[in-house]
Amino acid sequence: MSVVPMTTTPIEIEPPVSLWRDAWHRLRRNKLAVFGLAVVVILAFTALLGPYLTPYDFLSQDLNSRNLGPSLSHLFGTDDLGRDVFSRVVYGTRTAFLVAIVVTFIAVVIGVTLGALAGFFGGWLDRIVMWLTDMTMSIPNLLLVVVINASLKTPIASWMESRYLATLNPFYRETIWVDFLLVFGSMALISWPPYARLVRAQVLSIRSRPYITAAQALGLTNRIILMRYVVPNALGPLIVAVSAGLGTAMVLESAFSFLGVGVNPPTPSWGNMISDGLRVWQHYPHLLAAPAAVLGLASVAFSFLGDGLNDALNPRGAK
Amino acid sequence: MMMANNIRPEPPAKTGERLLDVRGLTIEIETRSGPATIVDGIDLHVDKGETLGIVGESGCGKSLTMLSMMRLLPNKIKVTKGEANFAGRDLQKMSNSDLRKVRGGDVGFIFQDPMTSLNPVMRIGQQLAEPLIYHRGMSKADARKRAGELLKLVGIPGAEDRLDAYPHELSGGMRQRVMIAIGLACNPQLLIADEPTTALDVTIQAQIVDLVKDLRDKLGMSVVWITHDLALIAGLVDRINVLYAGTVVEDAPVDALFANPSHPYTQGLLASIPKLSDERSTRLSSIGGTPPEPGRRPKGCPFAPRCPLAEAICHERVPSLEGLGQNGAHRVACFVAQRKLEAA
Ligand SMILES: Nc1ncnc2c1ncn2[C@@H]1O[C@H](COP(=O)(O)OP(=O)(O)OP(=O)(O)O)[C@@H](O)[C@H]1O
Ligand code: SF4
Ligand SMILES: [Mg+2]
Repeated sequence: MSVVPMTTTPIEIEPPVSLWRDAWHRLRRNKLAVFGLAVVVILAFTALLGPYLTPYDFLSQDLNSRNLGPSLSHLFGTDDLGRDVFSRVVYGTRTAFLVAIVVTFIAVVIGVTLGALAGFFGGWLDRIVMWLTDMTMSIPNLLLVVVINASLKTPIASWMESRYLATLNPFYRETIWVDFLLVFGSMALISWPPYARLVRAQVLSIRSRPYITAAQALGLTNRIILMRYVVPNALGPLIVAVSAGLGTAMVLESAFSFLGVGVNPPTPSWGNMISDGLRVWQHYPHLLAAPAAVLGLASVAFSFLGDGLNDALNPRGAK
Repeated sequence: MMMANNIRPEPPAKTGERLLDVRGLTIEIETRSGPATIVDGIDLHVDKGETLGIVGESGCGKSLTMLSMMRLLPNKIKVTKGEANFAGRDLQKMSNSDLRKVRGGDVGFIFQDPMTSLNPVMRIGQQLAEPLIYHRGMSKADARKRAGELLKLVGIPGAEDRLDAYPHELSGGMRQRVMIAIGLACNPQLLIADEPTTALDVTIQAQIVDLVKDLRDKLGMSVVWITHDLALIAGLVDRINVLYAGTVVEDAPVDALFANPSHPYTQGLLASIPKLSDERSTRLSSIGGTPPEPGRRPKGCPFAPRCPLAEAICHERVPSLEGLGQNGAHRVACFVAQRKLEAA
């Protein structure tokens, strides 16, 4: 047996690329996940580029062509103001992605930070975080959002107005930001607890796994152990949760917009389009069908992708 | 007795030089009702080239003693007293960065459970390469090559092809071999094997013992082998320490221990060997009762509540580990055994 040369300078170690490559191979073999991924990618491109490619502006009204059924010139028909429904659905995709990404990002940042701190330090910090989590989860989502909207919308709007009058800065005239701000804030506020719970549980359980002790017994540094043993083992479930969470956030945004506490008209959102469509669906079913179908598709796609990622990132369960 | 005859043809050269010297190591656990002693001032030593067997019931502190030496104890469990010298340096006082060089570099560990001691999301080739890259500064390519050699060394068929396998793709016996390969990766001076065969079936257990024996003779390292199963290691070890409730109750060369077990607990252990291999039970069926729980240690000899020979003094004072016979190589912590020998 050859005796290896004795040098003890530790060298930089790259992240485990192979894990992700393997996960990708496994994901590709899962048909539903591939379908989900394809739909998500198409929707993401639609959100990003769609509004520049649509034949009509989502706001432009044509009172001569109201409530038209689907045709070549209006793929999803037109609504009661003669606006092109396809263009509005496309723009609604942007709204849905914007809300879902921002909300999920805020929720993940809050959840991961609180969850990791709670799991790592335990003690009173853990108790406070868990109490906050339980509190937030026990309040009905809708109630919280309605309360936030009702109590904050008017004060913020009037503050914006007073700022506008004082500074004449056009930024303060754009009330659409108030809308988004409230939607982001209130949805993030109700969405972080599952991430906090997940990360806390992950950190707690991984920290006491024998392979962590084994890695320490190999003399590896905490940084390497964190980067190559703790994080990759914790990341899988988090990525899965984020993927599913994006879908949930889209549905939530639509639900709130549907109920009038989310994104307000005229900004197109699948939810407020469904709400409008519902009033006239017996006469003009396409007004309901188009946004509802896209919302359903998006929701299903994200959940298939989440499940696929779950299997792909977990080689233990793979066959 | 079968295992007493099972003597190695050529014992490795022993210099008599202390490689590991643990003195008065005390481990306590924080409980709701205050700290409780798990390991009580244990003394252990391993010479260069020597193989030490540590036996004792489940929960007597074997694993914690080994982990505590390398400062790997879980939260809430602390070393409160004592020292652990490795090659003349106290591991308890060493800086973290010096200690990391000892861990994995000079001292290799093989853990109890091969199913959970490997990182499930890292290929085994990478897990083997990790200590080589870190401790030996090898390039990735060299480390991978060496990882393949190590897998071959521990007898994994198709070693090179296995480098890219994940732990879940291997059987329990193969994973244990991978663990051994990781423990050996940096040519350690000391290999600590913590019940490396409990999870495996009997034939594979014997193979693993033979493998370690082989590698030890080839590489000239010292070995500490922890087990429940005296019969399994009889042909492997030079010396045996019998642990009870966190103290060494008997320390003897392997042949002396089998020929003349002196502590009543050791006698019970030996008497229960057939049962151990039948039922693979970890309890001593020939000795009634259970070991004391941490925090409820008796005042005198820790074995007194279960001891068939206990006398009044046993409940009052703690017997110390003292040499029997002329050269004192066989030591026992029992008033009755010590007196018997003096009388003889
Ligand atoms: N993480 C832990 N938390 C609390 N108590 C522990 C922990 N690890 C070990 N103990 C306690 O410390 C004592 C000694 O444990 P240790 O693991 O050293 O025993 P052992 O001799 O290795 O047993 P086994 O043969 O089952 O491996 C046991 O009573 C056990 O209950
Ligand atoms: S000292 Fe007494 S109680 Fe302890 S083992 Fe010996 S005889 Fe038994
Ligand atoms: Mg153990």
